[in-house]
Amino acid sequence: MDERNLTYMFYGFLSAWVILAGYVVTLAAREGRINRQIENLRRMIEGKESSKL
Amino acid sequence: MTEFFRQSLSITVKDLRLEMRSKEALNASLSFALVILLLFSFAFDPSSEHTREISGGLLWLVFAFAGVLVLNRSFARELPNDCLEALVASPVSGAALFLGKALANFILLMALELLCLPVFGIFYNVNWTAQFWNLLLVLALATWGLTVIGTTFSALTVNLRLRELMLPVLVYPMMIPALMAAMELTTHLIAGQPLSADLWLWLRLLIGFDIIFTALALALIEVVLVS
Amino acid sequence: MGTKILYVLGALAAVLLVRNLYVILLGLPDEKDQGAIYRIIFFHLPAFFTAALCYLTALISSVVYLVRKSQRADDLALSATEVGLAFAAVNLVTGMIWARIIWGIWWTWDARLTWALITWLIYAGYLMLRRAIDDPSERAKNAAVLCIFAFASVLITWKSIDWWRTQHPGAVLSIRGAEGGLDPAMESMIYFNWLALLLLCIVLVAVRMRQERVQREIDALRRHAHAL
Repeated sequence: MDERNLTYMFYGFLSAWVILAGYVVTLAAREGRINRQIENLRRMIEGKESSKL
Repeated sequence: MTEFFRQSLSITVKDLRLEMRSKEALNASLSFALVILLLFSFAFDPSSEHTREISGGLLWLVFAFAGVLVLNRSFARELPNDCLEALVASPVSGAALFLGKALANFILLMALELLCLPVFGIFYNVNWTAQFWNLLLVLALATWGLTVIGTTFSALTVNLRLRELMLPVLVYPMMIPALMAAMELTTHLIAGQPLSADLWLWLRLLIGFDIIFTALALALIEVVLVS
Repeated sequence: MGTKILYVLGALAAVLLVRNLYVILLGLPDEKDQGAIYRIIFFHLPAFFTAALCYLTALISSVVYLVRKSQRADDLALSATEVGLAFAAVNLVTGMIWARIIWGIWWTWDARLTWALITWLIYAGYLMLRRAIDDPSERAKNAAVLCIFAFASVLITWKSIDWWRTQHPGAVLSIRGAEGGLDPAMESMIYFNWLALLLLCIVLVAVRMRQERVQREIDALRRHAHAL
């Protein structure tokens, strides 16, 4: 059993976590973008409606 | 029921007549197939024994690449002048329309393959006539499988801007079982071996593939076409 | 699903994952043939099970969408496929790292590996098709049809690649061999970690589904804003 055995085990665990974490990051980024968009839209619509009155 | 097949047949005849007038898909795919055959000769030594062993695989790669050119045009051809909408609105059912188009594509692909075979035989020194009728059976079954998948996905992607890019990406992974079986069978048949019990396994796979996907396509095509 | 439940599930998954990691690294002994590297199986197999379950969920919700035209079913199909692809990637990459040590190569065209790769490509195609269609109902409908085709093709490919590869002797190296004489403690660990990954998967799918719903809300607001 060479010493790479243990190192590669850590690589394996690391890669599993990195892939999942990477996916979570893209999810979080999308969440942020969506929240920003909806905020902007709400504000825009409120602004338009109040200017109409 | 006879009405259904009559409608399909008239769609087939219409598509074939269109193709015979312009010959655009057939010409393009045939010259493309020849170019790939030529390119393969640089990738592999055409005279070596080893190339003989993978000849079935080479042949089917050529068919798959050139075939998608034909399949791509199948529904896209109806886009100008809103012909597709007219077809969908006509009393012809979606399943009949699909079957007609699939049949037309099948005939075109078979013609393409039968034209390529002799060229392949000459350039790669392969005796493809050894088991001709069995080979024809394999060609027909595998081509039908490719046609059903290709025609369905042609309908799925017809309205996309990126149609030409999307179709190959979606179609090739789906075709893998049929292509594998066809490659295995063709390699053995070209080598002059009869259909042994081992090969029957692959033939059964091809038949199963055809039945499953034909049934799925006929059941789902109505949903795809009506928007 | 309520945000609170999601937080609870997420926290539960995190606690379970940390606890499992502790037991895997410090509680379980090395395997006698493979040494430390065998521990990759605790992520490799559960990730595969999770991905397979995601694909199945996507199939069922696609069928439900076509029958009921329910928007939620389409959201679920998309979310499950996307999360399933992430777990399938974990499965593939951990497997490759394991293979580098045990087989000495990153990749071998063995039946299971080939199948896993083809499956990944097919479902990646599903996501690409969704991106290419702009009209929402057209997108949902065509994606649902593609999903049904994809699942059928995945099933057939599974069987046929097995035949294909086993016909070429020498290429038949299977992970299952290592599992044959698995210690009960190790086997239960696989299920424990599967539970953890499954919880994580549920949270991710739920979050992704909510994002789709909010996205539709945004589109509706946009139309409203245009109308004003």
